[in-house]
Amino acid sequence: MNSFERFHKRLQGMPVDRPPNFDIFMTYAAHFINQPLSVYYQDYRVLCDANFAVLEAYDLDIVQAISDPYREAADLGLPVQFPEDAMPVSTEPLLKEHADFNKLRLIKPENGRRMHDRLQAIQFFRERAGGSVPVMGWVEGALAEAADLRGVSQLMMDLFEHPDWVTDLLEFCVDIEIEFAKAQIRAGADIIGLGDAVASQISPEMYEQYALPYEKRIFKAVHEMGAVARLHICGDTSLILQQMAKSGADIIDLDWMVDFAGAAELYADGPALCGNFDPVDVMLNGTPERVKKAVIHCAQAGGPKSFSGAGCEIPDKTPHENLLAQTQALKEFTVSS
Amino acid sequence: MSDVAEKLAICVERGKVNKSAPYPPDLKDQDGADEIARQALESGVEPDQILEGCINGMDRIGEKFSQNKAFVPELLMAAKAMNAAMVHLKPYFQSGQVKRKGLFIIGTVAGDLHDIGKNLVAMVIEGGGYEVIDLGNDVSTEKFLNAVAEHQNCVVGLSALLTTTMTNMEGTVQAIKEKYPDVNVIIGGAPLTQEFADKIGADAYSPDPQGALAFLNQNA
Repeated sequence: MNSFERFHKRLQGMPVDRPPNFDIFMTYAAHFINQPLSVYYQDYRVLCDANFAVLEAYDLDIVQAISDPYREAADLGLPVQFPEDAMPVSTEPLLKEHADFNKLRLIKPENGRRMHDRLQAIQFFRERAGGSVPVMGWVEGALAEAADLRGVSQLMMDLFEHPDWVTDLLEFCVDIEIEFAKAQIRAGADIIGLGDAVASQISPEMYEQYALPYEKRIFKAVHEMGAVARLHICGDTSLILQQMAKSGADIIDLDWMVDFAGAAELYADGPALCGNFDPVDVMLNGTPERVKKAVIHCAQAGGPKSFSGAGCEIPDKTPHENLLAQTQALKEFTVSS
Repeated sequence: MSDVAEKLAICVERGKVNKSAPYPPDLKDQDGADEIARQALESGVEPDQILEGCINGMDRIGEKFSQNKAFVPELLMAAKAMNAAMVHLKPYFQSGQVKRKGLFIIGTVAGDLHDIGKNLVAMVIEGGGYEVIDLGNDVSTEKFLNAVAEHQNCVVGLSALLTTTMTNMEGTVQAIKEKYPDVNVIIGGAPLTQEFADKIGADAYSPDPQGALAFLNQNA
């Protein structure tokens, strides 16, 4: 059974040889092939090489074009700096004043330097691994994109002080994200991941009004193109679990603070879960034995449709043996279950 | 608490900045923290009462935040309202007529450019009655040491969002504790734990701003 078959069968709750490993790799992968992050984030060939390297080393079941949050925003004009070996940095918001919104213009993904780079990554993945390993593209949620353009703190206050302006901005952002998702699917993506990190910082009522409707629209477009939708909201999403299921996501990532078993029960006939051991305490700082225990616990708690993964990105400098422990645990899980 | 302090506490808790602010809708066209503080001081109300109102308002919203009854937007609006009132207290702080509870120096550690967590803590601590010196993001150990050298009666707060930068905390904490063993250092940030704080020799860890304020109230 190859990774592509394992992914599809697991998604439908059918028997598989082992739960798929859907860990998110970025910084770790770049350094795994001794490349600085500035190159990883800007050159799709390096991003792809790094993905294939960790895929092989740890028996992953996915290749992924996820990177920093600023692909779309940079192409819209957000100033982004790329320190040699650190995360890209946005030093000032693009939308300093509300009137700056009028300067925004929709851009085709193919015409944006950073969005196009992601499309090339997906094409490269597709050519080398299509049909044997699922290829995942990535977009920002509309709310996350709005925060990228406006700045998180300012947008959070705009939600109260200028709700109509925020709604207009979200309408603009959702159009960008839908087009970007479609372009990635055309390029060969099997899965579109949607990151909406800021959604864990607002109330359930605000999530329902300012995040969920746009997640729904993006995922509807993803489904219409025949791809699978994956929702990733960093942080504690315990209070919005029920709403997240309404997004239409086929796979929902849960960060480590969320009760995985409780969520699996809540989602019984709904989306598959991915997660959710602690990436720092368990994967970075734990022992191989602790990793194994956590991986098996999550695989049991998540039910027959669950995917294995840390609650968020695998941290840089994670011990090699801890990642191998996850691989081993997933193989043993099948044997013992 | 006096009427003025209570009115101000309500404005801060609810995030009512000034009369023209549209939020919250049920307080539309009513005076906000800005007008209440200004008018109260002009009519001779003791500035301590203004500070008391701010402290109580921030305490209430901070408590709700800790209990998942308020979220980041609500906390930011409360801080904005608090700042609108605090502007009027500035001359009284400068003259020494109103005294703060203590001094808190905060920054995001070297290599880390995320500031929302650090900002939220700074707002709640300031709203708790402390003077806050915000060193910003990507703060080197040397910069922390220089700030502590100037203000040795302070408490220091270190923030990190990234797993890649949380490891930079250890060097900063050790450098501060080595040179200024009596200065308390508290750390916070998404990937951190009490275990990590213990390991690197920090005096405290808090998962939320209110916990940091409680630590200062006990130790500053």
